[in-house]
Amino acid sequence: MAILERSKWYDLARATNWTPRYVAESELFPETMSGSLGVERSKWEAYDEPYKTSYPEYVRIQREKDAAAYSVKAALERTKLLENAAPGWLSILKAHYGAIALGEYAAMSAEARMTRFGPAPGMRNMATFGMLDENRHAQLQLYFPHEHCKSDRQFDWAHKAYHSNEWAAIAARHTFDDLFLARDAISIAIMLTFAFETGFTNMQFLGLSADAAEVGDYTFSSLISSIQTDESRHAQIGGPALQVLLANGHKEEAQKRVYMGIARAWRIFGVLTGPAMDYYTPLSHRKQSFKEFMQEWIVGQFERSLIDLGLDLPWYWDKMIEEFDYQHHAYHLGVWFWRPTVWWNPAAGVSPDERDWLEEKYPGWNDTFGKCWDVITENVLKGNIDATKPETLPIVCNMSQLPICAVPGNGWNVRDYPLVHEGRTYHFNSEIDRWIFQQDPSRYRDHMTVVDRFLAGMIQPPDLSGALKYMNLAPGEMGDDADNYAWAEAWRNIAATRRAA
Amino acid sequence: MSMLPIISNFQGDFVLQLVAVDSENTMDQVAAAAAHHSVGRRVAPQPDKVIRVRRQDAQAFFPQDARIGDLGVQPMECLEFIFTDAA
Ligand SMILES: [Fe+2]
Ligand SMILES: [Fe+2]
Repeated sequence: MAILERSKWYDLARATNWTPRYVAESELFPETMSGSLGVERSKWEAYDEPYKTSYPEYVRIQREKDAAAYSVKAALERTKLLENAAPGWLSILKAHYGAIALGEYAAMSAEARMTRFGPAPGMRNMATFGMLDENRHAQLQLYFPHEHCKSDRQFDWAHKAYHSNEWAAIAARHTFDDLFLARDAISIAIMLTFAFETGFTNMQFLGLSADAAEVGDYTFSSLISSIQTDESRHAQIGGPALQVLLANGHKEEAQKRVYMGIARAWRIFGVLTGPAMDYYTPLSHRKQSFKEFMQEWIVGQFERSLIDLGLDLPWYWDKMIEEFDYQHHAYHLGVWFWRPTVWWNPAAGVSPDERDWLEEKYPGWNDTFGKCWDVITENVLKGNIDATKPETLPIVCNMSQLPICAVPGNGWNVRDYPLVHEGRTYHFNSEIDRWIFQQDPSRYRDHMTVVDRFLAGMIQPPDLSGALKYMNLAPGEMGDDADNYAWAEAWRNIAATRRAA
Repeated sequence: MSMLPIISNFQGDFVLQLVAVDSENTMDQVAAAAAHHSVGRRVAPQPDKVIRVRRQDAQAFFPQDARIGDLGVQPMECLEFIFTDAA
C-alpha cells in the first residue's frame, strides 16, 4: 500500500481541530485545564511546532533507541561497574534515580494534560509523543537501577523515594507538582517544557551523559543520552505556545510562568547537580565547575532563547547568577551533614586536592565554606564522628522545601526571608522564593514543611530517630560518608599552614 | 515554663536551625542552646568571646540575663547569635 509522504498531509492534519456541536467550547476545553488565557482557539491554530514527526516515524525511532539502551545494559551487566566505580559516582546514580524516575511519571501526566487540553492541534500532537517519551523515561530509570537492589538497598529508592516523606523527595514532589502536575496545559507547556526542560534538563542530561562516559559507566551514559534525545524534541512544545500568548497580548502572564519555572528548577539543580559536579565527581573527571556549567549553558543559552522570543530577563536574574557562587556549596554541606536523612552516600569532596580545586573555581571558598569543613575535618580526624552529625532539623524553606542556607565563615550572609500571610509566618531562602509564594498564596499556604510537621507533633518521637522513621529510611538505606572518611586522612600529614594558605 | 521553638542563625554557620528553648531561659542559656548545634560542629569555638542574641535586622542585643519569655520573642522567630567581646 502506498503511503503518502509526511509533508503531503502533515500541515492539514496538524491544523485539524474539533468543532464541538453538542457541548460548549468551554466545556470541551475548560479554562482550568486548558489555561489558554482567553485566547480564541482559532488564534491557537497559529501554533507552529518546530519538530514535526508522524506516529509511524516516532515508533520506529523510539524502538531503535530502546533497543540500543537495553542492549548496552545487557552487554555490560557483568562488568562489575558498581564494584569498581568511585563511591561518589554511585551516589550520583542513586540521587539521580530517586529524584528523577517517578518525576518522569508526573511529567507523563503533564504531557497527557497537554495532549487532551492543549488548545492547539499541533501542540496536542507533539504532547502525545511527549507523553509516550516520559513513560519510557520512567520505565527505563526504574528498570536500570533495579538490578542493583539486591546488593545495595539504596538503589531501591529509585522507586521508593517519591512514596516517602524523605525531605529531598518532598522537595522534588513539591516542585514538580507545582511546575507541571498541578497546572493547566499552557502553563505546563511554559513551566515544564520551556523553563524546566529547555532551560535545564536538556543541557543537564547532555552533561550527565558525557560525565558517565568519562567515568566509564557506558550503561548510564547510553541511558541518559537516549532520554536526552526525546527531551530535546518535546522540550520544544513551550516555545510556540509562548509565541501565541505574546502575539495576543499576554506577555506578562507568560513571563510570570517562565520566571516561576526557572526559579524553582534552579533550586532542584542546585541541590542535585551542584554537589554532583563539584563534590561527588572524582576530581580527575571534572571538566567544568557547576558555576561554569550554569553560566555557559543555562545563562548563555537560555538567556538567548528568552530574548529571541521577546521576553524580558527575570527581575531576579542577577541575584540568581550571584547564587551560582554559593547556593550549591551550602546545599552540599547540608546534605553531607544531615547525611543519615538521604538515600545516597554523599561524597564530602574536601580532600586537600579537592579543596585546592574548589578555591581555584570559587575564590574565597576556603575562607567561607572551608571554615565549616575545617571544623568537620578536625572532628573526623579526632574520631569524633558524633560531632559531624546533626541533633536538630535545619529550617526548611516554605517554597523550595530545602534548608535555608547561604554563605558561612567570613562571608556569613545567612538570613531568613519571612512573610506573614493570614496570621501564619512563612520562612523562605531568598526574595525569589518569597516572590513565588506571593504570586499565588492560596496555592501554597497550606503546605507544611518537614519542620512544620515536626512542630505539629506529626513526627514521633520528636528527635532525629523519629525523623528518620518518618522519612522511611531503614538501616542500610540511610546515607553515610561515601568514602568512609578517607578524604580526611589526607589532611593528617598536611601542615596546618597549607590549610590556612 | 513552656517550650518555645526558635530559629537559630548562628554567626559563621551556613544554615538556619530549629532550637527548642524554655520560655524561662535567660538569653545566655538560649545562646548556649543554639551554640550546641553550631559551635564545634561547623563553627570554630571562640572561648574568649561571649555569644549575644538579637533579632534579625536589629543592632542591639538582648540583655544576657533577660528571660526569653519576657521579651516578646515569637515562636519560630529568627534570632541571630553573634560572637562579641566580653564586657
Ligand atoms: Fe523525561
Ligand atoms: Fe521531558
